[in-house]
Amino acid sequence: MDTGLDRQCSPRFRLLDESQILRIHHTALRILNEVGVRVNLKKAVDLLAGRGARVKDGNVVEIPAYLVEDAIQSAPSNVTLYNRKKEPVMELGGRRIYFGTGTDLPKTVDLVTREIRDTRADDIVASTVISDALPNIDFIASYGLPRDIPPGLHYIRCFQLEVENSVKPIFFTAGSLEDLRVILDMAFAVAGSADELAGHPFMIHYSEPTSPLTHSEEAVSKLICCAEHRVPINYTPALLAGSTGPVTLAGALSVALAEALSGLVIHQSANRGAPIVSGVVATGMDMLRATISYTAPEFRLTHSAYADIFHYYDLPIWGTAGCSDSQYPDLQAGAEYGFTILNAALDGCNLIHDCGYIGQGFVASPEMIVFADEVISMVKRYMRGFEIDDEHLAMDVIRKVGPGGHFLSEKHTLDHFMEEHWRPAVFNRENLPNWIKKGKKTADRKLIEKAREILEKHKPEPLPQEIKSNLKRIWSEAERKIRS
Amino acid sequence: MIKAIYTAVLEGKVEEASTGVQKALDSNIGVSEILNKALISAMDLVGEKFGEGDIFIPQVLWSAKAMQAGMDLLKPLLASSDRLESGKIVIGTAKGDIHDIGKNLVAIMLEGAGFDVIDLGVDVSPERFVEKAKEEKADVIAMSALLTTTMQSMAEVVALLKEKNLPHVKVIVGGAPVDQAFCDEIGAHAYGTDAVDGLRKTKGLLGR
Repeated sequence: MDTGLDRQCSPRFRLLDESQILRIHHTALRILNEVGVRVNLKKAVDLLAGRGARVKDGNVVEIPAYLVEDAIQSAPSNVTLYNRKKEPVMELGGRRIYFGTGTDLPKTVDLVTREIRDTRADDIVASTVISDALPNIDFIASYGLPRDIPPGLHYIRCFQLEVENSVKPIFFTAGSLEDLRVILDMAFAVAGSADELAGHPFMIHYSEPTSPLTHSEEAVSKLICCAEHRVPINYTPALLAGSTGPVTLAGALSVALAEALSGLVIHQSANRGAPIVSGVVATGMDMLRATISYTAPEFRLTHSAYADIFHYYDLPIWGTAGCSDSQYPDLQAGAEYGFTILNAALDGCNLIHDCGYIGQGFVASPEMIVFADEVISMVKRYMRGFEIDDEHLAMDVIRKVGPGGHFLSEKHTLDHFMEEHWRPAVFNRENLPNWIKKGKKTADRKLIEKAREILEKHKPEPLPQEIKSNLKRIWSEAERKIRS
Repeated sequence: MIKAIYTAVLEGKVEEASTGVQKALDSNIGVSEILNKALISAMDLVGEKFGEGDIFIPQVLWSAKAMQAGMDLLKPLLASSDRLESGKIVIGTAKGDIHDIGKNLVAIMLEGAGFDVIDLGVDVSPERFVEKAKEEKADVIAMSALLTTTMQSMAEVVALLKEKNLPHVKVIVGGAPVDQAFCDEIGAHAYGTDAVDGLRKTKGLLGR
């Protein structure tokens, strides 16, 4: 036997060492203790004060380090998400990676006309059906923000359309606490009861504090609501270095980390052990155009850094990848998808959202979800590494074939080629004459065709009629309230 | 029984194909029925599936092996009238070229389709191609090249066939640097873009 040999190699990547992790962690603790965070909800301020935090100016809370350390301990290291059928499908934690779409894109590149137009409710159905069909898209988000649904109702409608058109877990936003309550009512109806939902959550809410160092009433009330119902929440700031945070990456990361950790403290103070997924965005603001880059190299550096920090805490991590600053699906988008998806996988990030985004978080282009799926599949193969043992070192077959022969018809080849070698579903590998013969289809063309084909053929597992009727009733009540 | 052989070939199960053919022979099923309805029709489907991207090269090769295992039992029993396939093919890589993976694939596909294939291996001189074709009364010479420097020798084969007055021998060419224009330029009869296309074009040359 081979002793001391790890028979599986796989890509390993760490940006920070332990002393660097601790240096940034301690800076975040100092920010919370010496500068504090503004908390615009009395209930949350009282919760923190009751546990020993100091309150000044009514709503600025200075949080001592022990509360943060305690929250890191009490928050679960693993958060399991179930599908709509109560089967566990995502175990968020460790270095397990899961990918899904993002939320709220107001514009859509039309799959047929290729024009950039307002997003509609039928786009939410389309992206949900496409995501449901793709094997490497693990969770569903609204993707679009439908302009044909009245404001105040669109998050509710999105959730309803997603749960009706996919069994996969749902990553969702809500405009207000009222929205969230209606969405929770829908989720209780799907799961059977509030207890059933807490036992088998098929959804995770996405809410965020406001940089620098502020928890809005809306965000923190949703945070507490999820904690109380033990519905998983993703509470993660998006900080712009140089505008809503310090321009230097270490400073930006420390402030964003302080924001995420103070959210964790509030959440765990509201309900110890309730499920939460953490993370930050700390990217630069483009100083010429005042826009936010989703794919800047600095974004990826802070992404890797906070992933290392939350791995150190042993807490589940949210992240961002498969997105582009380009306004149209083009070469830039291709490069940015490849770069970000590989980076997020190397970071060992658990809940990786925004796959399929273009236009800096403003534009949807449904075939780009298909593109993300292909890149994820490629990256997952890379991350799997390869085995180094007698069977895989293949000495027997090397001896058998000898110099000058070929391995094509060896049993060893037949036995291993499927698992050892990745095969593209969309990307071109045709030789030139065959590619010409088959219509000179570039990958972008093939992606559009595949997206359309999925929409034509894929039939998601339907939601039982009784539950559908219940959702319809909850929707009608919400609509009546909003309109009156 | 035919179905079992057919499935064995489709799935690349060599022993099952062999025992299946033996059982069929023992039960007095006709040689040409086993050949056409089990072996060749299974390989036709294998070729089709490969063309669609549903199965891969190693699986095609194992199907071909299974087919060969069956053929080994049938060959001694074949009457001259059920000559395997109306076609004998001399195949090799062009002179100076030792890259033979593509050529091997084409040879295996041709054998799988039931053709009689004489593989001359690598670095085959134009003279040898033509002599062998004449000697074996071959219908087709199939050549491949990976290098632009070696593909020129293919033109010599075509010229030599004319010189030796062997107009009935058809020439098919393939390989990464080869294209339809080159094929036309040297006066070859067909060009295959890959192994599946090579098989299809060869069948075309032989009027099948």
